Amino acid sequence: MSEPFDPADVTWSRVSPRLAAARITTTCIVFALPIAILVVIAVLTGELWVWVSAAVLALFVGWLVLLTRRQVRAIGYAERADDLLVRKGLMFRQLVVVPYGRMQYVDVTAGPLARKFGIASVQLHTASPATTATIDGLPPHEAARLRERLASRGEARLAGL
Amino acid sequence: MKATDEEIAAETVDATAWRRMHPVTPAIKGWKVLVAVLAVSWYQLGENLREVVSLRDGHVWLFIIGGLAVVALIGFGYSALAWRATRFAVTDDAVHLQTGVLFRQQRQARLDRLQAVDVVQPLLARLVGLSELKLEVAGGSGSAVSLAFLKEADAEALRTELLALAAGLRRPAGTEPAVAAAPVDPYAKGVDAPALDDATSVTTPFVDAPERPVYEVPMPRLLVATLRSGAMVALVVVGIAAVVISVISRDVGAAFVLVPALLASGGFIWTRVNQGASFRAAISPDGIRLRHGLTESRAQTVPPGRVQAIRLSQSPWWRGPDWWRVEINVAGYGHGEDQARETVLHPVATLDEAMAAVWLVLPDLGVEDPQATLDAALHGRDQDGGFTGAPRSARWVDPIGWRRHGVLVTHRALLARSGRVFRQLDIVPHERTQSLGLAQGPLQRRLGLASFVVHSTPGPVSPSVAHLDQKVAAALLDEQSARARSARAAAAPERWMTTEPPA
Repeated sequence: MSEPFDPADVTWSRVSPRLAAARITTTCIVFALPIAILVVIAVLTGELWVWVSAAVLALFVGWLVLLTRRQVRAIGYAERADDLLVRKGLMFRQLVVVPYGRMQYVDVTAGPLARKFGIASVQLHTASPATTATIDGLPPHEAARLRERLASRGEARLAGL
Repeated sequence: MKATDEEIAAETVDATAWRRMHPVTPAIKGWKVLVAVLAVSWYQLGENLREVVSLRDGHVWLFIIGGLAVVALIGFGYSALAWRATRFAVTDDAVHLQTGVLFRQQRQARLDRLQAVDVVQPLLARLVGLSELKLEVAGGSGSAVSLAFLKEADAEALRTELLALAAGLRRPAGTEPAVAAAPVDPYAKGVDAPALDDATSVTTPFVDAPERPVYEVPMPRLLVATLRSGAMVALVVVGIAAVVISVISRDVGAAFVLVPALLASGGFIWTRVNQGASFRAAISPDGIRLRHGLTESRAQTVPPGRVQAIRLSQSPWWRGPDWWRVEINVAGYGHGEDQARETVLHPVATLDEAMAAVWLVLPDLGVEDPQATLDAALHGRDQDGGFTGAPRSARWVDPIGWRRHGVLVTHRALLARSGRVFRQLDIVPHERTQSLGLAQGPLQRRLGLASFVVHSTPGPVSPSVAHLDQKVAAALLDEQSARARSARAAAAPERWMTTEPPA
């Protein structure tokens, strides 16, 4: 991480590596059908270019798998005294600072796949829709702890708009 | 806040406090149904115009007229039922509104969360002397409380009352509203008491806050400014293209491509003129007052501290006379179709008026010479006026406008400058900062740049400073969150006439 996205006095918490597994599963589900169809066509017709495109697609999925693992490692969050930092992205990096007093509500969500993998998402909402402070891939107990913590800190520092 | 049981309301609101809308309301609202049906059928008929012409004889017309009568009956009937089901009450802390024929809804708008109060008069309501009172409470789309329709004088008296209550003033204890002998004058200035014309009229112990006019927009300037716009330029370009095409192809039919463009830009120009007509701004203890509109007149009141951000923008066609369009973010405004109408602070400002508009929102910009600073912010580039500009490496990502990107932090606000052709200046008071962000793409990382974003409530202003030096941007992020925190701690209370220490 380069310096602007890594302030000196901040210790980052990482999200669960199970998020990478969940995302990779989604990717595989999405790409499994096209690859399967290509392979079937290739077997039936025996054309070389169909084999090649199936292989290219498979390689692409492999690259996505590697990328997802790195992306998940790049997600970080930190609770400071007065605000929450959320950082994500490798190529397009993003860092959001949300003051606790500005939080309007906190969402904790977990879809069926996320539940299978034992992870949940925490999303902070301010009065601005541009605030994209979502932390994916938290273990449920950590998500609940964070929600409680944010709610109590938000209450203590509640300000109007 | 849905309730199927009216008794829920009865606990918090005194039964005698409930009031109804004006009985003419269904007659005005009912037209909407008829107009909608007419518009849809006109659209359908337009598709099959020839068939309609062939049907002209015979009894078809009777059926059409009969059908319209039924639609009108349904429209007015439903509106009448809706009117019967609608009632509202004002308590010291909130406005309660009950609506809905089948699905009962009760909405409670807390007055200390009041963001703006508008008195809106659509053309038809204006003809019969009625107004709609709209309260914005920053709860996202559709959260506004609309009281439609009330008598003009009632709507204005109610607005005065709501603003006074929202400001933290109290009704004099123990007085019946109808027999309030001496109106409480919270502003200690001689202002006429609101007229109490008949028994059904809304009575209020409060008087309207005095106001001082700040600027108004002359019609000729509005017309000229609207004609000097991108829509007009596009129209001229399309026109020339159409003429060239029809000359080359020797076919007049090519000129017909002009028709949609003509309609579109005509519509745009009409909307701009209609909304900006007789635009007046004033300042009062209740905040900024804006009045405007040709067919639909709108009187907005934005209490102190409710403006979240300001944007001044200038297209290249306005550079000669140095005119600026000033827009604001107010929580609650900026949802749906009314956004363009509600969020304009000045449709076409001269330089002096633009500065006055900024002053309306931020009387203290936090610099010694606000005029010079604003001048540098609007026209300058690089380090003019103390701005921190983008470094030279930014020319690779924005070869045209890189010298205009800049940021200035004063004691009170953050100024973000950008745009060389389409000039722009965004101002965010520190205490109104929601959250902050930093973004960096791959190219920016190679060049050591980063973009700084301030998140504001929904609206036309989305402040950001692109392509700053990444160290500057990171430092800005850090300092700005501290500054926003201390500014919030020192900010004026939500109820602006109270002197209680901020929560």
